[in-house]
Amino acid sequence: MEEGGFRVDPVTIDTTKIKTAKKKPVTALEKLEDTGLINTVLAAREREGLILFSTIDQIFNWARLSSLWPVSSGLACCAIEMMATAMAHHDIARFGMEIFRASPRQADLMFVAGTVTKRMAPRVKQLYEMMPDPKWVIAVGSCASTGGPYIESYSVLKGVDLIIPVDVYIPGCPPRPEAWLYGIIQLREKIKNEGYGAKWGLNK
Amino acid sequence: MNAAEELKQKLPAAVVSTGMQVNKPMAVIKKEELLNAARKVKEMGFDHLSVITGTDYKDHFEVVYNFFSYNNKHNLVLKVIADHDKPEVDSLTSLWKGADWLERETYDLVGIKFRGHPNLIRILLPDGWNGHPLRKDYDMNTEQFVTVGENGDDIVSPDGTNLLRRK
Repeated sequence: MEEGGFRVDPVTIDTTKIKTAKKKPVTALEKLEDTGLINTVLAAREREGLILFSTIDQIFNWARLSSLWPVSSGLACCAIEMMATAMAHHDIARFGMEIFRASPRQADLMFVAGTVTKRMAPRVKQLYEMMPDPKWVIAVGSCASTGGPYIESYSVLKGVDLIIPVDVYIPGCPPRPEAWLYGIIQLREKIKNEGYGAKWGLNK
Repeated sequence: MNAAEELKQKLPAAVVSTGMQVNKPMAVIKKEELLNAARKVKEMGFDHLSVITGTDYKDHFEVVYNFFSYNNKHNLVLKVIADHDKPEVDSLTSLWKGADWLERETYDLVGIKFRGHPNLIRILLPDGWNGHPLRKDYDMNTEQFVTVGENGDDIVSPDGTNLLRRK
């Protein structure tokens, strides 16, 4: 071998170890096994020790919770606290969330920040429906959670969960940025435990 | 002498009574004389009409006008009593342009009609809303929901099945 050069091992695959499929592969895992890729990867791992193994659930959930992009929409005074949460002092850029998207098409989280009036309700629902899956909703403040002080009002919806599904409720009127951060952390915990592999039939 | 008493001196036929309303001089005006009194109020230097409100007293309505003079820093409150069956007073849009939206709001929430208003339609609630919510006899038991139609119009109905996830 030359001085200063890279040492490259020839990749040797023991073909006798690769199982030939006897029955037709049905599930996605069986199809993957059928290609022999797993044995190849295992052989490479034994040699180099540089391959990290994970499940689809873990890797996808990690990717999703690490860059939640919220819709840039606010309905009332809670939106002021949302701005404070986004600013440098509390800094939700630590969670990869600093990009408030101006379009729901590019967002996967919606803060319902404020009073949902009867007239705004169909618009909030439309915003939610325009977001691509997977999507999450945080209802912020007592107004968005239950109607709050306007529970007896003629013009306010009694909780945004009447029209769209809500993942996390943050109480307060309005909640301080610390409460927002706690709610965001709760949502990240929730996403961490979601099972997307099961939806695709991978965990059978 | 405050502004309300000055108005009574100038127009004794129009002013029913004078007094104080939360530290502001207040004058109760006859309904027919409202435009004349308002014209006189404007001559007195009240160049800003800040608020118009309506109050339901079950047997009558009260329409309250709050004026302010930027030059003299004076306040003045005018009150007009309107019938409960057919609440209708003259519009002040010819004298103060700002009365336009204030009168529309009073029409929207209390249901007082302003004679001579150029565009008297609802301003806060969508068209087709049933009733005026700040009246004492407003029906709070039937809930009304708003949905958006094909062309973006608000559609009001007591049935929220298009909007709600569950009943």
